[in-house]
Amino acid sequence: MVNFNLKTVYSIAKKEFLDNSRNKWILVLTGLFIILPLLISLAFSGTDKIFGGMDNTVLGLVAISSLLIPFVAIILGFSTISGEDENGALSVVLSYPVRRIELLFGKILGLGSVLVVSIFIGFGLSGVIITLAVGEASWAPFIAFILYNIGLGFVFLTGSIFISALCKSRTRSIGGAILLYFFGPIVGMFLMAIGAGMGYKVAEFQFPPWMLDYQIPLSPPDLVQTAVPVAYGTKVIEYSGMIINIPEYMTYAYFAFIQLTWIIIFIILGYLLLKKREI
Amino acid sequence: MVSKTIMCPNCKNQITIEGSPGERKIITCPKCNTRGGFSFPGEGAISKVVSGSSAIEIHGLTKTYNGLKAVDNLSFNVRKGEIFGFLGPNGAGKTTAIKALLGLIHADTGVMKIDGHNMRDESIEAKKKLGYLPERANFYKNLTPVQTLDFFCELKGENKSVILPLLKEVGLEDAINKKVGNFSKGMVQLLGVAQTMIGKPSIYILDEPMGGLDARWVKSIREKIKMLNKQGATVILSSHILSEVQNLCDRVAIINKGKLIAEDTVSNLNKYLNIKPRLEITVKGLDGKVPSIINELKGVEAANAKGNTLLITCESPIRVKVISALEDAGFVIENIITIEPSLEDAFVKLVEGDT
Repeated sequence: MVNFNLKTVYSIAKKEFLDNSRNKWILVLTGLFIILPLLISLAFSGTDKIFGGMDNTVLGLVAISSLLIPFVAIILGFSTISGEDENGALSVVLSYPVRRIELLFGKILGLGSVLVVSIFIGFGLSGVIITLAVGEASWAPFIAFILYNIGLGFVFLTGSIFISALCKSRTRSIGGAILLYFFGPIVGMFLMAIGAGMGYKVAEFQFPPWMLDYQIPLSPPDLVQTAVPVAYGTKVIEYSGMIINIPEYMTYAYFAFIQLTWIIIFIILGYLLLKKREI
Repeated sequence: MVSKTIMCPNCKNQITIEGSPGERKIITCPKCNTRGGFSFPGEGAISKVVSGSSAIEIHGLTKTYNGLKAVDNLSFNVRKGEIFGFLGPNGAGKTTAIKALLGLIHADTGVMKIDGHNMRDESIEAKKKLGYLPERANFYKNLTPVQTLDFFCELKGENKSVILPLLKEVGLEDAINKKVGNFSKGMVQLLGVAQTMIGKPSIYILDEPMGGLDARWVKSIREKIKMLNKQGATVILSSHILSEVQNLCDRVAIINKGKLIAEDTVSNLNKYLNIKPRLEITVKGLDGKVPSIINELKGVEAANAKGNTLLITCESPIRVKVISALEDAGFVIENIITIEPSLEDAFVKLVEGDT
């Protein structure tokens, strides 16, 4: 049985939150989370209203959020182990009565809290402003949009912590983080190459019908870009220039399961690497 | 203490030596000056010592990196209440040994105990007794020193009322609202010292605590170490500043290439290594030549001249004879400095002899 002290996890999480919530990059990106929805909403505005409707705003925003949120999560996590190992802080923490699993969960919770707060402040605040101005909103899909983005953030956060536990130095972690960020597009290109090999005219946007079945679970940003329209009742999406019907089995539960699976895989891998790591 | 009579492999002279079980000693044959090492036997004897009075016990520690042994079968004990110097040239394996002791790296073999707690299965209990300052201490740049110590207090379950007194004790009371990211290297090091004192640990492991600091900070850290030891704490001090180690430490262990090559008090090391006091005399018009009267003097073991400076190796009672002989021969003595055997002498002799 793994021993686990929740008080220690809380202390580490609190420290991570305090330290990282003052990170200049995070403050700038939280500001972007507020400004971007308002700008997109302005773009959808009609003649009589300053802002466009919430639904259009969210559907317009999802492409940007699925690029930005992984970026924020990676900034938070990519050097949390390798960087602290390099500068000596990790050896001090582990000379205290702290287990490595407590350190890992403390970091995930602390950094995750920064992510959640910045998403809530950013998208939540802009959502309230738009709703007040327009006077109408479908709250359930908007909440689903926020939750999928939080899930996306946690996938990339745990992924970047895994990278940080894998790499010996901060510099190497940057390389790993870049690879993680572009993992989705790499998977997409790989699948397209297989499709091309099978005779599909990929250059003319003719993709194999099974492509979405693999692309969605293997590329968390694409998952969110599909899940949010589904939450708004859309049955078709435009994918790489092609109109695709979203398979019936892709429901809330399916998307949540995939996100959770990624998070669990990254936590297990991160723990195994951190346990073996020589500080 | 146990005594053992051994035979010099060179001249067959019988030498009696004393030491603790498991201790390794460097011996110089008084007859032919041949130097060698001897380890007192007794695995069982070591654990006997440990359970009674050892704050730290390392036995048979080995750590290999890519087939190269960074630490090779290292064993030593640190007694409760002593300041113990842990020395070695760069790359000797000091930091590796300390990290293995703390469980930060995984040793290939070896038993490590802190205050009787085995680090393999009682590490959490062991770490409660410990204060550690690494060679490169850095903390969280967006936190203030108060928030930093608050975090470490929580990890040790210590009351947070100690934070301000601790910051005052290390001289950081004027920086409590500053972010650690704006601290100088010395201030970060002092914050590191403050965090080691959280929970009043009984054992301190300080890896190069004075490295790269100016004299003001060095003095401050030296005083802290003395104070902690006075309060009953055991301190392991790893440092390149050998004069500091000599002044502070009760005993030292010297390692080279991962192996223990000596463990004793500084004076005993010098005795075993046959390091004698030296006399540095500035003589007017010496011109780089050793006067024949000095070479003929009984008790002078070595004499060298460089410019107007005469460097003579001899025991203390011979010093007066040397000075008198020079004066009687008409030399004008401008300055006299006596150089007692130092840790540096022992260190250089041991490490160079081991290379």
